[in-house]
Amino acid sequence: MLEINISGLKLKSPIILASGILGVSCSTMKRAINSGAGAVTTKSIGPKPRIGYKNPSIIEAYPGTFLNSVGLGNPGIDDFVSEIKEIKNYNFPLIVSVFGDNIDSYLEVALKAENAGADALEINISCPHAEISCIGINKDLTHSVITKLKKRIKIPIFVKLNPNVTDICEIALASEKAGADAVVAINTLEAMIIDVNVKRPILSHGSGGLSGRAIHPVAVKKVYDLYKVLKIPIIGCGGIYDWKDVVEFYLAGASAVQIGTALYQGFDIISKINYNLINYLEEKDYHSISDIVGLAHQYKVQEVPDFD
Amino acid sequence: MTENTIQTVRVKKIINECEGIKTIQFNLKEINSFNYNPPKAGQFVMVWVPGVDEVPMSISGCDKEDNWSIAVKNVGECTAAIHKLNINDFIGVRGPLGNQFKIPDDASKRIILVSGGIGTAPLKFLAQELNKKNFKFILVEGAKVSIELIFKEDFEKFNQKDVKVFYCTEDGSSGEKGLSTETFEKLIKESSKQELSNTIVFACGPEKMIYEIFKICEHYNIELQASLERIMRCGCGLCGLCAMDPLGLLVCKDGPVFSLKELKQLEDFGKHKRDFTGKKVPLD
Repeated sequence: MLEINISGLKLKSPIILASGILGVSCSTMKRAINSGAGAVTTKSIGPKPRIGYKNPSIIEAYPGTFLNSVGLGNPGIDDFVSEIKEIKNYNFPLIVSVFGDNIDSYLEVALKAENAGADALEINISCPHAEISCIGINKDLTHSVITKLKKRIKIPIFVKLNPNVTDICEIALASEKAGADAVVAINTLEAMIIDVNVKRPILSHGSGGLSGRAIHPVAVKKVYDLYKVLKIPIIGCGGIYDWKDVVEFYLAGASAVQIGTALYQGFDIISKINYNLINYLEEKDYHSISDIVGLAHQYKVQEVPDFD
Repeated sequence: MTENTIQTVRVKKIINECEGIKTIQFNLKEINSFNYNPPKAGQFVMVWVPGVDEVPMSISGCDKEDNWSIAVKNVGECTAAIHKLNINDFIGVRGPLGNQFKIPDDASKRIILVSGGIGTAPLKFLAQELNKKNFKFILVEGAKVSIELIFKEDFEKFNQKDVKVFYCTEDGSSGEKGLSTETFEKLIKESSKQELSNTIVFACGPEKMIYEIFKICEHYNIELQASLERIMRCGCGLCGLCAMDPLGLLVCKDGPVFSLKELKQLEDFGKHKRDFTGKKVPLD
């Protein structure tokens, strides 16, 4: 019931571990799979080792909503290749999130990840607290990066979209036109918390990206809008805590989902969601979760307000 | 407000434990009694010095008035900044985080606490809790030199009938000359089979020291709970930097206290940690 096929990747569950969460070591990614995730996405990997921003870099803003500015800390692709190879020993679908300093370095990292055994790549053009966000806010740059990657990369390419833009559909369409196999919506929302006692932003970088509960309705709206214009699949991401959040993404038009922040409550949350998703589908007499993609679009919404 | 939210709180009290080690006290209940979550021995906090950094610190005590303590050794930029704090300065605190030492239900258990250096901090909290519950226990505290034997005054407050304390220094300036592991091993070797099967060991200190304790406990089949330390960002199971391979147990969430059974399966234990890039590097 929960088996899906997204861009040729066969997953046992539509729930994918989101990038940036517990994705540095094979052992934690294996725990996500053992808890029922259909695939895992690694932390974003770049061309060279990068420490990222100092702490505080991950804090809880409100219960279930987090703010982070890790700043793309990662061991670099050359070191990470061994981790990718180790993961491939266990034979579960692996999506490697990649980024670069420029178009060429995106390609260099992507090729190394593909050669090491990645099943798909997620292209991070949208981290809101790092310099690469400039790509994800520009449709032409997005088109150039994805076009270049598609020419050389054989495995599916997913583009992680930046919600901090005027029109997310424009960037998504540029990705689709460049040959992207799917989009992931959304990355975190730019945000800041200032402490009233010390009167300064708490994160060392000042601002960061908001994830978790508070952004779920924002993400649902973006997926809903994207579904209207895209032909390629959409992977919904943002604030999944239970099965209803997953169903909501599906009804809005997602063909798979990613879970991240909620894992601070423990890995078991994934198996619980899978279990409850099956219950929902059985109760409503659906054979597959793919049967409910975009169902919310069959209903007209009121476009013009009533006047007296 | 949750334990993962930074709360800024004033430094209430500063105690100079010795050259290079200070205890800092603060009170989260006074600023937010509604969501107050008292700490358990073994848990830790993330301490933010505004403008400097945020680092994990073991909780070294919590008194009747709910003043929490951390004992901080000046070893780097952030701990140096903590040492420069004055009373009433603001620090940010997230916590209590992580699991805890499991105090046995059975008061007849033979309990041994073994510490090394600043690793004495969480064990002092545990010792106070054990004492409150009228448990008898043995404490083996180790330090490089005599003046670094911290919390001596706190330990002397315990009823000496119930608490036996062994001090060890590497230079022999106080107590036994040598490492706390050596004194611990001697204690174990002198124990009867029956005593050993009834013994539970709590350990904290440099990981190489904990590893020695682990090997002794494994050899004699003794129950062990040891508190580990790793680099971390989130402190709540998200960043993955503190993952212990191959089980993927997280020091921040599944730990910092691990059992002998868990430690046995952790290949990283005593050998590797991850740095801020996420790269696996040898332990110092």
